[in-house]
Amino acid sequence: MLNEKPTLKSTAKALLYLLPMLVITIIFNIYPILKSFIMSFYTKYDFFKDIVQQWGGSNFTFIFRDPDFHLAVKNTLIFVVGVVPLTVIISLVIALLLNKIKWLSGLFRTVYFLPFVTSTVAIAQVWHWIYNSDYGLLNYFLSLFGINPIAWLESPKYAMLALIIMSIWKSLGFNIVLFLVGLNNINERYYQAAEIDGANAWHQFTNVTLPLLSPITFLVSVNGVIGSFKVFDQIFALFNGTPGPSKSALTIVYYLYQKFYTEWKYGIAAASGVVLFFMILLVTLIQMWYSKKHVHY
Amino acid sequence: MEVTFKDVSLSYDGTREILHHLNFTIPEGTLVSILGPSGCGKSTTLMLISGLLAPTQGKIFFGDQDVTKQDALARKVGMVFQNYALYPHLTVLENIMFPLKMAKIKKEERREKALKLAKLVHVDDQLDKKPGALSGGQQQRVAIARALAKEPSLLLLDEPLSNLDARLRIEMRQEIRRIQQETGVTTIFVTHDQDEALHISDHIMVLNLGDIQQFSSAETLYDNPSNLFVAKFIGEPVINTVPITAFGHDLDAAVPAEILAKTATVGIRPEALQDHPIDANTFATITTKVKAYEKYGREKNALVDYNGQELLSTEIQGRLENHQDLTLYLQKSGLYLFDEAGERIFGGEQDVE
Repeated sequence: MLNEKPTLKSTAKALLYLLPMLVITIIFNIYPILKSFIMSFYTKYDFFKDIVQQWGGSNFTFIFRDPDFHLAVKNTLIFVVGVVPLTVIISLVIALLLNKIKWLSGLFRTVYFLPFVTSTVAIAQVWHWIYNSDYGLLNYFLSLFGINPIAWLESPKYAMLALIIMSIWKSLGFNIVLFLVGLNNINERYYQAAEIDGANAWHQFTNVTLPLLSPITFLVSVNGVIGSFKVFDQIFALFNGTPGPSKSALTIVYYLYQKFYTEWKYGIAAASGVVLFFMILLVTLIQMWYSKKHVHY
Repeated sequence: MEVTFKDVSLSYDGTREILHHLNFTIPEGTLVSILGPSGCGKSTTLMLISGLLAPTQGKIFFGDQDVTKQDALARKVGMVFQNYALYPHLTVLENIMFPLKMAKIKKEERREKALKLAKLVHVDDQLDKKPGALSGGQQQRVAIARALAKEPSLLLLDEPLSNLDARLRIEMRQEIRRIQQETGVTTIFVTHDQDEALHISDHIMVLNLGDIQQFSSAETLYDNPSNLFVAKFIGEPVINTVPITAFGHDLDAAVPAEILAKTATVGIRPEALQDHPIDANTFATITTKVKAYEKYGREKNALVDYNGQELLSTEIQGRLENHQDLTLYLQKSGLYLFDEAGERIFGGEQDVE
């Protein structure tokens, strides 16, 4: 059975097993992707009757000239650069600390995992209060250091920072759990061997922990980059359905959302989605290329 | 370097003691095996020497220096782990160079030294491969080269051959012996395989349940086992053990009465039971019944019944039939008497005139 040669019959059988999942994937993933690619070339479109009157590339020329789209790309990049490296570093540090604490480690793991399983809207509501300029916890702590209250959510200067802080906090839990799994998978023998070989704690970290953890680090960062490029719900919930004060937190997906749901410009929305798709693809390819050299499986 | 344990005990959780008051000295430049069944504390002893574990009680000396408080980093010993623990992300050469890198030795010098070691252990044609691409024997050689890289005064080997197949094991144990003799480094070799220990070492320490049973040369272990455990543990096939009550009066003429009175168990090596008398050495004569007779190649074995006890003899000359009566001649050199506590009270060299 195990080394059976594929025949027409066995292939058909295998396809039958795959069919339920395949149907769902095609309907809800593959078809929408193809459709949005096609839709990005609709320049005149009657969506009531689903009739395309005109095709062309003008949607792309529009967004490339639209200052709002430029702002959205810039904000998205700031968000990705602000969130991903810090998330990776902070979650690795916390995972390392948690790995050392045997006492109550189960409790800590649960506590850190909570943000991941809690709804973004609920989290945003709590952070809304933390960020409140008059009564917020954050400003209260800053006042202890003699810093004047900051209008986190109302000032265009701080809105992006507020969003980044909340997003880092939200994504820590899942990444910590991933790192903990990675740390647990490193055989204690390697540390013993390294100690025998004369490696102190820091050298053990750089020569054993980091290289052997690199597959997880790679996973966490690719995941983080993709997730951060697609940021939307945190913005919507934190700024009460606006892209932040004076569009200071307008990202590509938020731009797409506005074009699609508020302005009914389907072609433009689809075109911005296509641009986002290729941006993510490019960055992921760069990460994959980098991982070939630096990730050790 | 000479290694001395003074009254060393260890317990992991504070209640259950793994090692009890170990006292021994390993002479400089020798290859010593620590031999015992699994769970006897032999790997733990090695961890104590390496500094990866600290004793709960007692002192450890390297030469004259008290190293009890030093960790593995400070003790600077070389160690080969059972599963080799080669860094999977580094090449063979980088693995061997790693201890040198940690010692902050210059890059060219590192390379030169590592190449020399790779040649010593015969892996110089595998330098750019990752450990995952090597066979078990090759990985083991790399692990030895890495352990030797910082020129340790002490090389520790934790069951290094147990993951290899039978033929490779024999080859590698000769290799380890050769490398030890070429470098002259004091080597401590942990194993549960008596054959390995007997072939490779200058001295063997037999451990059981956290106590040293005997620490002597391989020959002495076999010829003069100090207790019943050592007698049973060393030797293939296993020594015959018979309660003294089965002998009736068969030993009365040969053993002084006061010793016989204290004896609980009689140990007879299978080669000390012969079907043909050699006058000078014959100690006693017993009458037995053949239960099974086997001949493989040049080996002739007989399983015989003696007053309800089963005995194995490997020194049969005649052809035997099952159920026939057989007179066996006990040879003095392979017979030991043990008391209630298992200590040897008769037999062995001290009684040979």
